Amino acid sequence: MQIKPILAALKRHKAGTLLIALQIALTLAIVCNALFIIHQRLDRIARPTGLDENNLMAIQNRMVGVEDKESGPLIRADLAALRQLPGVEDAISVNSYPLRGGGWSTGVHLNADDKKSKAHTTLYFSDEHTLATFGTRLVAGRNFQADEIGEADPKEVGDPAVVIISKALSDKLFPDSSALGKPIYIGDTKKPSTVIGIVERLQVPWNGNWSDTFYDNAIIEPYRLVSTFTNYMIRTKPGQLSAVMASAPAALYKTNRMRVIAPKNGIRTFAMVRESAYRADRGMAVLMGVVCAVLLGITAAGIVGLTSFWVGQRRKQIGVRRALGATQRDILSYFLTENLLIGTAGVLMGALLAIGMNLWMVTQFEMARLSVTYVLVGVVALLLLGQCAVLAPAMRASRVPPVEATRSV
Amino acid sequence: MLKMTHLSKVYRTEVVETYALRDFNINVNEGEFVAVTGPSGSGKTTFLTIAGLLETFTGGQYHLDGVEVSNLNDNERSRIRNEKIGFIFQAFNLIPDLNVFDNVEVPLRYRGMKAAERKERIMHSLERVGLASRAKHYPAELSGGQQQRVAIARALAGSPRLLLADEPTGNLDTQMARGVMELLEEIHREGATIVMVTHDPELAARAQRNVHIIDGQVVDLAEDPRFHHSVMAARANSPA
Repeated sequence: MQIKPILAALKRHKAGTLLIALQIALTLAIVCNALFIIHQRLDRIARPTGLDENNLMAIQNRMVGVEDKESGPLIRADLAALRQLPGVEDAISVNSYPLRGGGWSTGVHLNADDKKSKAHTTLYFSDEHTLATFGTRLVAGRNFQADEIGEADPKEVGDPAVVIISKALSDKLFPDSSALGKPIYIGDTKKPSTVIGIVERLQVPWNGNWSDTFYDNAIIEPYRLVSTFTNYMIRTKPGQLSAVMASAPAALYKTNRMRVIAPKNGIRTFAMVRESAYRADRGMAVLMGVVCAVLLGITAAGIVGLTSFWVGQRRKQIGVRRALGATQRDILSYFLTENLLIGTAGVLMGALLAIGMNLWMVTQFEMARLSVTYVLVGVVALLLLGQCAVLAPAMRASRVPPVEATRSV
Repeated sequence: MLKMTHLSKVYRTEVVETYALRDFNINVNEGEFVAVTGPSGSGKTTFLTIAGLLETFTGGQYHLDGVEVSNLNDNERSRIRNEKIGFIFQAFNLIPDLNVFDNVEVPLRYRGMKAAERKERIMHSLERVGLASRAKHYPAELSGGQQQRVAIARALAGSPRLLLADEPTGNLDTQMARGVMELLEEIHREGATIVMVTHDPELAARAQRNVHIIDGQVVDLAEDPRFHHSVMAARANSPA
């Protein structure tokens, strides 16, 4: 191989070599971290909520002209009206729902005296229609019974005797056994709640970084919150979503006109909820993708530019090499090897930079640790990009005729 | 060693055909030192580039060391250049980014020679031209004469059958030119076949035989009386 003389020649062109190596290093560091962020965001977007999303809709409702404590009968009337609508499978009033963006969270303890909670979770407050409305699957135990449901002021919710929890929370609380039938302590209470049911999956209302550690931990408490502000979730029969979207608000207004349902976000299908929840994640993924593409493009252009310049500058030298016996393939190989050496120096620096950049983001923005796989894939991709970028000018170099050696500059 | 028969080289453009060589015939035997002379534009350099397989020709035949080269592909021509021909250029044509050792090594690497053998040949060649102590120097750190000696060492390292020299002293002052010429004569005495293109009658006089070219054809030296006279005068003044 020609590595030694190529290295010797590169030492005499330090500035150009160093600039391209640094460009490759920076590109690798940024692209690795950007791809990692993209992957994280796409993973997040792909998380299942545990709901029957295709047949779900949400209505954000505010009663007017009544106090919070007077709203219980009105909510019950609304639910009765909604459940009777043609095409409706079931309906509930609930404090929040997956991907809504706002909700309640607290710690869960296994003993009343534990200072530190065993897990963090979200809290959903609703009735025995919750599982049927959400469409989430019960994998152990039973649903609430009607006589277990209470009504509660949101500011003074008591400790429930029974709860249903998600499997993820069950596994977190009791890694070696099932939570079914066991007591848990929600928040700072000294009063236990018994787990009577476990659902396969139920996501929290948030989708930001801070909820990443407990995004599948959920508790359903058997309370209908008595408040003028409530969310109605309606599950329709298959194919009936559009019809119910139109009929549900009319039915609510027919029950009681003294309410506000915001025209813009007051009535949403779950697809709209999901779209809105992940808008920022999708935007970030697209932005990072564009940044990656632009950086890779600039780096490739830089390599093409520098190599083309070097080919032009060394035309006579290439002719001399050809005169001394180099084949076209030798010349091609010279430029590919030269690029590979610069690229290797670049990716080695870039790999360290990528890991350093990630460690900084881990401390500054609570990002996850960058997987080494990204760095390895980035290294291979950058080296391949370099080889592809250098191919055209290298082929041009290989076509320099040997007679060039005899021509004066 | 080198035989061209009815060889022609035509440069064509859309409107004109220019014959650089026309019905060109030459025969150089093994061990000969031939000077190819002629005025500017006569076709000397074209002859040398074709002889060195740096360029193809339009018609005729060219046998090099018994091989008819007109049908060889680019790789085969490269291999013959590498193994059988040593080039000495007027402008030295050393690679400025490589030191003396690496410059001499270039053709040997293309031959796929093992490192130990390369080193032995390089050092032997450099010793022969008196520059073994300058192996780590770069071309820019050497005088013109020294650079041409490095180029000669590079040409000799591969033990070629034929040395082609294109105005080897053209860029050197008189003293350096004399040194380089003496080195070529010494190499010839050791058995090398040398074809040297020059327009200098004094250098031509030191070769065994002169081949004179005018308008792309070999002519009798007497057809160029001025040059003929200069060569004869140089021969008469030569110490040998």
